[in-house]
Amino acid sequence: MTREELFAILPLLVLTGGIVLLMLQVSLRRGHRPALATTLAVLLVALWACFTVAADLPADGAISATMLFRIDHTALFFCVLLLLAALATAVLGFHHLLSRASNQDGDAYPEEFYILLLLVMLGACSLVCASHFASLFLGLELMGLSLYPLLGFSVIGSHSPQREQLLSLESGMKYLLLSALATALTLFGIALVFAASGALDFTAAAATLRESGPGNSVFSAGLTLLLVGMAFKLSLVPFHIWTPDVYQGAPTPVTALIATVSKGAVVALVLRLFGQVDLFSVPVLSTMLAVMAIASMLVGNLLALLQSNVKRLLAYSSIAHIGYLMVAFLIGASAFGQEAVTYYLVAYVVTTMGAFAVISLVADTALSSLPGGTGPISDPSNDPYQIEFYRGMFWRSPALACCFGLMLLSLAGIPLTIGFIGKFYVFAAGVQGNLWYLLAAVVIGSALGLYYYLRLLLVMVQCESGSEALAAGEVNIAASGKLLVIGLTGALLLFGIFPQLLINWVNAL
Amino acid sequence: MTIAAMIAVLFLGGLAAWALDKMRPGAGRWVSLASLLFAGALLAHLWGLSRDGSANTAQAWWQSIELSWIPRFGISFFLAVDGLGFLMLALTLLTGLFGLVVTWREISFRQGFFYFNYLWTLAGVVGVFTALDLFLFFFFWEVMLIPMLLLIAVWGYEARTFAAIKFFIFTQASSLLMLIAVVGLVYTHYSNSGQVTFNYLDLLQVQLSPTTGWWLMLGFFIAFAVKLPAVPLHTWLPDAHTQAPTAGSVLLAAILLKTGAYGLLRFTLPLFPEASAQFAPVAMAIGALSVVYGAVLAFAQRDMKRLVAYSSVSHMGFVLLGIYALNTIAIQGAVMQMVAHGLSTAALFAIVGCLQQRLHTRDMEQMGGLWTEVPRLSAIALFFAVASLGLPGLGNFVAEFMVLVGSFGVDHWTTAVAALGLVGAALYALVMMQRAFFGESRRSVSADEQERVIDLHVRETLALLVLAVSLVFLGLRPQPLFDIAAPSVQRSLPLNNAAARAPAAMESGRAATVARRPETIRKGDTP
Repeated sequence: MTREELFAILPLLVLTGGIVLLMLQVSLRRGHRPALATTLAVLLVALWACFTVAADLPADGAISATMLFRIDHTALFFCVLLLLAALATAVLGFHHLLSRASNQDGDAYPEEFYILLLLVMLGACSLVCASHFASLFLGLELMGLSLYPLLGFSVIGSHSPQREQLLSLESGMKYLLLSALATALTLFGIALVFAASGALDFTAAAATLRESGPGNSVFSAGLTLLLVGMAFKLSLVPFHIWTPDVYQGAPTPVTALIATVSKGAVVALVLRLFGQVDLFSVPVLSTMLAVMAIASMLVGNLLALLQSNVKRLLAYSSIAHIGYLMVAFLIGASAFGQEAVTYYLVAYVVTTMGAFAVISLVADTALSSLPGGTGPISDPSNDPYQIEFYRGMFWRSPALACCFGLMLLSLAGIPLTIGFIGKFYVFAAGVQGNLWYLLAAVVIGSALGLYYYLRLLLVMVQCESGSEALAAGEVNIAASGKLLVIGLTGALLLFGIFPQLLINWVNAL
Repeated sequence: MTIAAMIAVLFLGGLAAWALDKMRPGAGRWVSLASLLFAGALLAHLWGLSRDGSANTAQAWWQSIELSWIPRFGISFFLAVDGLGFLMLALTLLTGLFGLVVTWREISFRQGFFYFNYLWTLAGVVGVFTALDLFLFFFFWEVMLIPMLLLIAVWGYEARTFAAIKFFIFTQASSLLMLIAVVGLVYTHYSNSGQVTFNYLDLLQVQLSPTTGWWLMLGFFIAFAVKLPAVPLHTWLPDAHTQAPTAGSVLLAAILLKTGAYGLLRFTLPLFPEASAQFAPVAMAIGALSVVYGAVLAFAQRDMKRLVAYSSVSHMGFVLLGIYALNTIAIQGAVMQMVAHGLSTAALFAIVGCLQQRLHTRDMEQMGGLWTEVPRLSAIALFFAVASLGLPGLGNFVAEFMVLVGSFGVDHWTTAVAALGLVGAALYALVMMQRAFFGESRRSVSADEQERVIDLHVRETLALLVLAVSLVFLGLRPQPLFDIAAPSVQRSLPLNNAAARAPAAMESGRAATVARRPETIRKGDTP
């Protein structure tokens, strides 16, 4: 391994070093705030490392660090995006854990949350940079394995109400079992690809594909199984069954993490895999993706109509959103397709992170303001994850509700927000690729989607005249949480009104 | 610059109204009034410019502004105003002011936010009427919806949430079809010329194959037909109009419906001349059907506001019929109908609002005999009712007459069916008058709380009278309006210009002196 190669994987090294550092720090002296500080520092240094590496990339724009990783501008861009999402998650996690930590007991372990978070990031970043089926698998598993304890973190890591603990346990177990199945399928797929091509790196697979053509059935079967594994992570219908339960049960910051980082990394990987191996020339994969995309848009939006729990609602909506994204993905190996997917992914990450941030912060406030602090929330009308909880929020805390409203409008794809530009890209890509069936599904899906986004929006704005007493209950979230929400809303508006700023950046990749 | 300033004034005025109302309750409406008047002054300035400019510069667009916005897609912030746009802007600001003044004291809670939404809706509409970049047009098209949604959902009546969501889903889903059509058009242009642009003037040059043109035209048509609304797609309208607060109904009926008709004139006809000509018989049939169907349903309503709402369906049917007759007379009639219907329906909704505020009901079964109690309100209601049924001497008559004259030569039978709508209009308008204002009082109020119903205030009376005078003016001297609209109407008829030359002789000389920009001239437009 040359110096140049080591330099290229600097972001990964920073994350690895950070994990070790944090573990040592925690073993020497426990402390919630110091752990958060270290995590934020590690993430910031990793971000800096991404920019440094990007500045020094050679003219052709890519460095292969051994066979396993290929660092190029696209990969670094996704790393930056995911690391920013991780920063937001760390802040959210801090508030989440703080509101659930009891003062007298010493057996809460909030520090582990940050270690696991960094491990997830290491997995995600290696996945984004992977150019070999081994590193693909390593990244995927590293991410998955650190997500299981995070999903169940309410059970042991913090003093959550019992109800949350049960849901959290359920969510962790479901993800563990189903994810294990998906991993097995992925592994088998990789084995079949190896059997057909005799090599495990992407370039060799591409060579095999060029020689034998798309007719090679062992190769196609392997890729199909691999794609099924990816579809599971992306929760494309029909591999979406885990999504609502896991989203609902997980601690909300972890839900945000799984919705943004885990999905974003897999999208980046699939983009690279399809581009490098030229899988667009395998018709069976495109057909499969198209069918899954249409099913996701329709099923996701239809099931979201019935939800009264905000987290479940967003879970179904995220299923639909990945469906939209696949429309842009499907137009094939063109620069425009990549640009569209990237833009949509940024829009998705910003908006989803923002929506979950608001939900998480609101729930934290509700929990800490309840009498008894960490007592079980048995009364469903007090459940901060129910839509009804948001009734009249616009009049109680206008700023927060405005931000949340903008997130919802962005999810619905209304102008002035980044979500609209993302949807515009999807339409442009669909028209360019003549994907009329998919576009029809996008239109139907969006119309259905409007119903539940608007319902939530109107619930926030409307207030029964009898419940003026509610008006007193202003939602007070902590300053750093406010800063985070405002930052995300700012990005959402900035890139929604002046998309050219982001387009320039994406185009430079 | 003036156009951009108008939009900015309304946007900023909305923000200021919200902010100031928080500090000092009641300030919001004064801020709104001031920003609307300021916008009106800007519009008057624009009018002055056109008077000076037409002599020497001879441009199709009175004023335009173009700033680069998203160069990646050739999208620019391109606003321009011509005669049609000017008329629509004047209608927008006039009815906006009217709606504000007539409901001055009606909004009892969260006034700041109300006026914020009110002004933002108007700003979006002004943008729609001036945008000449298809992306920008779509942008404003959507921007005007959200505040309207909130107006209905927060300040509306009983079934407001349902009505608001229905309104939004109908318009949004159809506008996504338009977005696909816009992107399709741009992509076709890109394949032909290698240049990505959303500029309207550039896109007029696109050569479309008949099939592509047909599908793209349908995408635009459906979006505009929902807004118009044309019959199978109209079901959002009665709900939205009925549930909206009075000011919201005024905006919806007087302005938002016109964006659909404007879109047909500005975009569908010039962009897809061949496909539109092919589609015209269908569209005219839909128009005639809307006229009759709207009239029949209006006749069947008990709820006065719903009656006025269905009458809108009927009147906008005339607009659709006139536009797709594809000749100058009928389209001039359609433009006149847009303005006249805007004024008369705004007034009718305001009257229903006044009644609801005084009687706490819109059910005509519970009214009756109001004339003796509120003579002033009743007299004004009678005036607008007969305006709505098309009494000669008022704007609506001129409009409907011209639409019928223009389309009769194109399609006798469809026009004959549409003419039945006039009979229907007379029926429902007079039945409304009869049930609500004449006869015995049927109000189920016990004797002790039988307080006197207060007649119209001076403020309300004046506001309504302004609209009444405008309608009389339009009815007696329609020519100025036709002169203003003539160049735009000519531009929206690229195929039929040769055929329309002869009837166009009745336009004043102004149309001829205004030369068109070369890029708007298409084949078939040769002198």
